[in-house]
Amino acid sequence: MQGLNRLLIRKRTTLLLLGIFCIIGILIGRLFYIQGIKSGFYQKLAEDQRLRDIRVEPMRGTIFDRNMNTLAFSFDTESIYAIPHQVKNPKDDAKIIAEKLKLPVNEIYNRLLKKTSFVWLKMKPLPEEVQSIMEARIYGVEVAQKAQRFYLRGSLAAHLLGISGIDNQGLEGIEKYYDQYLRGIPGSEQAEYDSKGNHIPLGERRFIQAQNGASLVLTIDQVVQYITERELEKAVLENGAKRGAVIVMDPMNGEILALANYPTFDPNQYALYPHAARRNWVLADQFEPGSTFKIITSAAALEEGVVRRNSQFYDPGFIVVEDRRLKCWRAGGHGSQTFIEAVENSCNPVFASLALRLGSEKFLEYINAFGFGKQTGVDFPGEAKGIIPPLSRIKNVELATIGFGQGISITPLQLLNALSVIANGGELLQPHLVKEIRTPDGKQVIKEFGKNTIRRVISKQTAEELSLILQSVVENGSGNRARIEGYSVAGKTGTAQKPQGGVYGQERIASFIGFAPVEKPRIAAIIILDEPQSPVKYGGVIAAPFFSTIARDTLKYLGVKPESKEEGNVQISGENSIIVPNLLHLPRDEAVTTLSRVNLTYRGLGSGGYVIAQSPKAGVMVKPKTTILLYYDEESRYGKELSTVVVPDLTGLSVLEARNVLTKVGLQLTPSGAGIAFKQIPTPGTRLTLGATVTVYFVATGYN
Amino acid sequence: MWERKYFKNIDYYLLGSVLLLVLIGLVMIYSATRNNQALTGGEPFMLVKKQLVAVIIGVLGMILIMFSDYRLPDLMYQIIYGFNLFLLLIVLSPLGLEIKGAKSWLNVGGPFSLQPSEFAKLMMILTLAKHLAGKEEIDSFWDLWSPFFHIMPPLILILIQPDLGTTLVFFFFFFIMLYIAGYNGRFLLGLILTGVIILTLIFLSHYYFGTPLPFKEYQIRRMTIFLNPESDPTGSGWNVRQAIITVGSGRFSGKGLFQGTQGRLGFLPENHTDFIFAILCEEWGFLGGFVLLSLYFTMIWRCLVITQHSKDKYGTLVAAGIMAMFIFHILENIGMNLGIMPITGIPLPFVSYGGSSIITNLLAVGFLENIWIRRQKLIF
Repeated sequence: MQGLNRLLIRKRTTLLLLGIFCIIGILIGRLFYIQGIKSGFYQKLAEDQRLRDIRVEPMRGTIFDRNMNTLAFSFDTESIYAIPHQVKNPKDDAKIIAEKLKLPVNEIYNRLLKKTSFVWLKMKPLPEEVQSIMEARIYGVEVAQKAQRFYLRGSLAAHLLGISGIDNQGLEGIEKYYDQYLRGIPGSEQAEYDSKGNHIPLGERRFIQAQNGASLVLTIDQVVQYITERELEKAVLENGAKRGAVIVMDPMNGEILALANYPTFDPNQYALYPHAARRNWVLADQFEPGSTFKIITSAAALEEGVVRRNSQFYDPGFIVVEDRRLKCWRAGGHGSQTFIEAVENSCNPVFASLALRLGSEKFLEYINAFGFGKQTGVDFPGEAKGIIPPLSRIKNVELATIGFGQGISITPLQLLNALSVIANGGELLQPHLVKEIRTPDGKQVIKEFGKNTIRRVISKQTAEELSLILQSVVENGSGNRARIEGYSVAGKTGTAQKPQGGVYGQERIASFIGFAPVEKPRIAAIIILDEPQSPVKYGGVIAAPFFSTIARDTLKYLGVKPESKEEGNVQISGENSIIVPNLLHLPRDEAVTTLSRVNLTYRGLGSGGYVIAQSPKAGVMVKPKTTILLYYDEESRYGKELSTVVVPDLTGLSVLEARNVLTKVGLQLTPSGAGIAFKQIPTPGTRLTLGATVTVYFVATGYN
Repeated sequence: MWERKYFKNIDYYLLGSVLLLVLIGLVMIYSATRNNQALTGGEPFMLVKKQLVAVIIGVLGMILIMFSDYRLPDLMYQIIYGFNLFLLLIVLSPLGLEIKGAKSWLNVGGPFSLQPSEFAKLMMILTLAKHLAGKEEIDSFWDLWSPFFHIMPPLILILIQPDLGTTLVFFFFFFIMLYIAGYNGRFLLGLILTGVIILTLIFLSHYYFGTPLPFKEYQIRRMTIFLNPESDPTGSGWNVRQAIITVGSGRFSGKGLFQGTQGRLGFLPENHTDFIFAILCEEWGFLGGFVLLSLYFTMIWRCLVITQHSKDKYGTLVAAGIMAMFIFHILENIGMNLGIMPITGIPLPFVSYGGSSIITNLLAVGFLENIWIRRQKLIF
């Protein structure tokens, strides 16, 4: 054969075969790379370019009160909107639209000319309007399904619920705090489009169902909320206050039953109200607490043993700390008084001296333990922390003023939560507004928020003891207007001066804080009236009565049985009234017999053989069978009381004043130096035999 | 001429793999075009039917060639060479149809049109094989240039259309045939290098001295865009990018027959011709792509065997030329579908839609079988 070199051909074809192997290998490798290793990436690219998402909005979750009454819910409404640049003949179309929707032509025309991609024409149109618009088939005018939020009870609990925006976003309040639950998860409808952007009607479709938002069950009881708002409004209006607020909570588990601010607003039309009216300032603002804070001072002092309920004090009307003279609210002072009486009287110098006895470190420890200076952790956005000065900044003067509630700031909720510690036996709880998160239909519980104990602050004994002291405040002291027929109430009044431009001015914050029934507390509440313009601005006078009404109506609504028909049933006059006898210092048996003789019953508290306090006090007129509370103590002081006296605090007094005070209680003065008293031996509170001598050191001061 | 033993001697591996490829092609053409109203005019089987007509013509031609002797009378080669030039000339005349900027088609009545450059490949292989086989000496410089001048006239005509893809096929089988014909490897390498250097000089002079290029700007862009399709994803990079997405989204086992989306929704253009491989990979996944490549490998392997076993040099060169043509088509088309080769619109043998292409390829198989049937039995 001509030139056929088989060997050469065999060699060269074999080389060629190798080359082909390589080429096919490269192709398969590349194929595997694209279809195996990177296939997920390309699959996504392919899907992204052919499937387009149409967002399907979820329905926002419903908010229920604790008894599953609906407070806020969403529903779908149809809305008519236009895409202005798609509208071909704005002038003609505006006429048609205006006619169909019964709106002014000009307005529609102006909207169609807007340079936006989207404009609402009519929200919540009538069904026949929707129908006629759809029939008109105007290019660029469409009907959308839009969820609408509705607050069923209008302004009820408005500050609490907050508001949500038109795009299903929580803006304020619970709506904001629980937005992630309420909002739900948007779904999507994916539809297929070709490369030119045309929708393929029979193409692939994917639905990802929107997940509706979870519903919330609040701890709020709409009835209690209603009672609260009703009374708050009355309180604010009657006293001409700038604003007012009430919080009602269950002290046993931290559930907030009602929370109200006045003035209020309607979340359905929130835009019509000034921003200030929407502010839930009861959680967001902080105040100087004033007298109500004495509860904390008392609790710390009792727990630390620096005071006992029957400790004797003498209030000359002021107390001198370092070089400052801190006055009692009552000119002239309260004179000689027991600790219980000092609380009843809300006597500033006594609490100042308690604070001094505790010392700043210890006192601050308690203040922190009660939860002041940091957020309570309530499930609400924007809670204030309050301000507690750091230890380094608390000198004796500051310490003394904090003792009676000045020089710190707190939120009303912090104070109420601290009071709950007293009410529930000594534990600080985390207050909360939401009880449960449930499925969108409200039928199944997803998450439960129960009692969350933060820490034990004081012992059960101290809590009970202080409860009784606070009960005494209501029954005998400054808080007597907070009494409720049939229920025992413990509480404390407060009248704080409002600092204005760095100094205390004329404006006041009147408050009352309390709980009831004392034995088994069901509710704790605080009422605050900011800048009342009434002639009398004392919390005990203007706030306490509203506390009484709120607590009474709430307890009745909650079905709390009156402790006994007569319990606490203090009457000023009446046919069958009995005058409560004086039982102080009597041995237990004798006191009991005395009571039964006059047709009164009793309940004893504490241990020991002698009565050291009673409630109501001697001389009060009560109905027959009224229960008198008797406080016992171990030792009889009767005999000793006669021969011993408690050394009063003489700090800040002049030599003359000190001599007078000591003479009154039956002691003698040995003065040292001149000026005002700054130190004494023995220290205040020491028990001395009548006629004993107290050495007092005086120091000269500039202003005396 | 007709002998019973011919049947026995048919290479069924080659025939089988080719017929399977044709079948796969018909199915994929249906898949790619059934929803394309613009192409089918509402009749989903329109293009499949047209392709089937071409297949039948091709198969008949193949059978005819199989059983006639591949060694034609000398005059026939001159006629073939002349006919080839004639077709390539009239396609450039006003009789030729211009589609997408290339004057490559001749209308032959009704819905059918011819693409002479497709037939030109086979005709060139035959005449070049004859030319090379007739050479006793292949050592001198002139020996290299005479085959070069042999292919140049039709090549230039094709380049004028312009049909760059086919031009490259010409170069490829030209070198493979010279190589198998026994040309000095270093000579060939030198020739290729010379070509590369000339091309480089043309480009350098274009960029530095502004001399005109023999290519159009868009052709260069199309040739180089595969290196970075993301640089122009909606323009010249569109096709490569979409082809890769199409292949990749098929993943390992594919979206399922007729379940592809890229072609149906118009993301991947030319999906029944240039990018039919991508559609196959989309619907049949890596498995489908692998099977297809295996079929091609089988086919090429048989081509090699036939090249080795031809009873004369002419047969060897024809087989080598056809093999080279197939190799280049497969490498270039699949490579372009996978984004590793530049976009030149050359079809995937036996699978892509295109009557001229499939007829040419089937006729080529006829020649291969012919050579195989008449092979020299090695007797030891």
